[in-house]
Amino acid sequence: MNRLFDNDWVGPALVCLVAVVGISILQPSFLSPFNILVLLSAIAVNMVIALGQLVIIAIGQMNLALGAFGGLVAICFVAVMELYGVPPVIALLIGLAIGTAAGAASGFVIARTGISAFIITLAGLQIFKGINLGITEAQPFYGVPQSVKDFGNHAIFGPIPWLIVPMIIASVGMWYLFNRLRIGRYILAVGGNRTAAELSGINITATIIWAHAISGLLAAIAGMMLVARLQIGQPTIGDDWLISSFAAPVIGGAVLAGGHVSVAGTFFGVVIIAIITQALVLFAIDPFVVQIVLGALILWAVGINRYREIRVAKLNEAR
Amino acid sequence: MTALKVSNVSKSFPGVKALDAVSMTLTGGSVHALLGENGAGKSTLIKIMTGIHAADQGEITMEGRPVRFANPRQAAAGGLGVVHQERNLVTRFSVAENIMLDRLGANSLSRVDYKALAAEASRWLKQLDLDIDPMTPVSRLSVAQMQLVEIGKALSLQSRVLLLDEPTASLTPSEAQVLFRILRKLRDDGVAIGFVSHKLEEVFDICDTVTVLRDGKNACDSQPLKTLNRDDVVKMMIGRAERISRRAPRPQPAAPPFFELRDYSSAAGHENVSLSVRPGEILGLYGLVGAGRSELAKAVLGLARQTGGEIRVGGKPVKIGSVAEALDLGVGYVSEDRKGEGLILLHSVLDNAGITVWKSLANALGFLRDGTVAQKVGPVLRKLEVKTPSLDQTIGNLSGGNQQKVSVAKWIAAGVKLLIIDEPSVGIDIKTKAYLHDLIHELAEAGTAVLLITSDLTEMVDVADRVAVMDDYRIEGLVENDRNYERVSTAIMALIHGREAA
Repeated sequence: MNRLFDNDWVGPALVCLVAVVGISILQPSFLSPFNILVLLSAIAVNMVIALGQLVIIAIGQMNLALGAFGGLVAICFVAVMELYGVPPVIALLIGLAIGTAAGAASGFVIARTGISAFIITLAGLQIFKGINLGITEAQPFYGVPQSVKDFGNHAIFGPIPWLIVPMIIASVGMWYLFNRLRIGRYILAVGGNRTAAELSGINITATIIWAHAISGLLAAIAGMMLVARLQIGQPTIGDDWLISSFAAPVIGGAVLAGGHVSVAGTFFGVVIIAIITQALVLFAIDPFVVQIVLGALILWAVGINRYREIRVAKLNEAR
Repeated sequence: MTALKVSNVSKSFPGVKALDAVSMTLTGGSVHALLGENGAGKSTLIKIMTGIHAADQGEITMEGRPVRFANPRQAAAGGLGVVHQERNLVTRFSVAENIMLDRLGANSLSRVDYKALAAEASRWLKQLDLDIDPMTPVSRLSVAQMQLVEIGKALSLQSRVLLLDEPTASLTPSEAQVLFRILRKLRDDGVAIGFVSHKLEEVFDICDTVTVLRDGKNACDSQPLKTLNRDDVVKMMIGRAERISRRAPRPQPAAPPFFELRDYSSAAGHENVSLSVRPGEILGLYGLVGAGRSELAKAVLGLARQTGGEIRVGGKPVKIGSVAEALDLGVGYVSEDRKGEGLILLHSVLDNAGITVWKSLANALGFLRDGTVAQKVGPVLRKLEVKTPSLDQTIGNLSGGNQQKVSVAKWIAAGVKLLIIDEPSVGIDIKTKAYLHDLIHELAEAGTAVLLITSDLTEMVDVADRVAVMDDYRIEGLVENDRNYERVSTAIMALIHGREAA
């Protein structure tokens, strides 16, 4: 039983289960197909955003520019379709390339200058947001093709939205990356013990650039998913990503110092946040309560992680 | 066959010449000891060989070809494997992954083949007689097992030259014997092994040749160990035996101890430590790196839990839970890590010197004026002859010696009755060092109790009145200091090595 609770995702998963059961007893419409569709769409987008932050947390840094990457890609994605008539698939590839390049550039500056990622991505946030506003003049692009709109708003069957597909691909991909690919292990190694990684011959610069490029790629996917869901190229896409992009991984057991993350835990973290936000609508609760509950959840999650660390340390001492 | 040759390598750091024309030759199929006291330059030399530091002068050749590694990665690729003194493992990763960390796949997107990793790693674990599942996370291992994993990692690179920096520091004698068996086997396979250790028994047990460094210079260069005995080596390590202190021994003050530990044990690992310092006395605390001296200072200051025994200050038993409580009792600590723990480098001289007196100087409303602080610390800084353009100067811009004076000044300004000084002369020049020694004496003459922690035997014999010898978090004994370097250093070494030999 204790072994089971050593898994990062078990705690958040139980919280999700209790929340779902509790809310659906109080408010049966919570389980209506439409509501589930809305909930899953939100979860799908937020999961990809959280993964974009997760890969940076894994290396022991933070990416404040995540939302700015996503916003810039979102408007570029629509702009090339609207202004140049580029087909959606090509626009998608352009968007992925922009996000990856922006991430790689930011990673390159961080790795080469040795300046903290916090500062560099803070500057990046301003720069990319500035480019975004320069292109859009703060006006949305409306030329989103019907196929893209459909992808963001239709269900595959029942209450399962199409948006779930990119989320599943990204989640499985990131799980595979962290657990099976060399670069994923290197990202965790650098986050876990940078000196050890360096002395073992791991190329730290390249690893940091990879992590940020992957983060940019995920931000791009999330940005374009939001375009599909909102049906317009909003310049404000990405502005509100920051808090939940950290909250979900931390609730899911990620260590902010780096070296330890859980994709499954992050998923349940995203679900918890989505359920809380939904409950707000269903029970017409004041928004401030949601903020307090979210804050308390983060503290609770960090507390659990800390408790486990202390327990592990004690076990080691005892030996 | 010469595997690695270091010729006339020099390296200066600001204020110190760490290495001065040092040479050393490692030969394939032989184990070479690199010896020297703490601060003699061994670590710097290893860091230069492995590309962490660049040499200012001199040349390194491997198998005849000049090499200049830009980083440890290149060194490893060039066949030079190192086991560093500090543990360098990713503790959340498995043993196998740690051993094979640089070879998890051909390129970034390669799939990690855990089965193959485990198979390869278990080969090396078997060699080390380490019966653990290669998929075990390193965090579950004991310290000794982690050490062996690091050695396995270096071995697995099939290095032609293998440097081991104090590899046995955390091993039990039987574990060390296992390691030596492996080293002998590697030696017979033609590997050149460089071996740094403080334990002379080990050196004579396993090494064939020896290089001794003293004050950054060769005391001997790659001499066969057969031609030397223990005393020869010790003499080379600690310098001319007849070095005599210029200070006369001081009579012991008669006052009752100001500070006393009775069978003190801490969560940091100290066991039954007893020592006492009288007002006006300088008690030295000597030990090798890792003996637990700085840790004792920090534990006493409340940074580690007290698990047994008693701390008495001014004759009364006390509990110290934090540095602030220690300061209230009149106990101050000058850290060995001046830059990391002692000073706030970006702040002014005034702020650094005044930090200990802010609390007592603040007025009823909690306001504190720079003028008030300057009045208090100014005279102390002047007395210590701190060379600074003004009190507003950023302390990071001062020389190491002047920084050290400020870290002492802040405690003098606070009027502490016991000052614990940890490695006061690390990284400062000889003149300031002599000045600091005078200062410590003046403090003692003025009635301050001083606990001096240093790994520099000369300094110890010069400054301390009595020397408590610590090894493995225990006090091994007490040596009266009559300033006879030969006698005192021999007595200290006997206390440290006596336990090992037993």
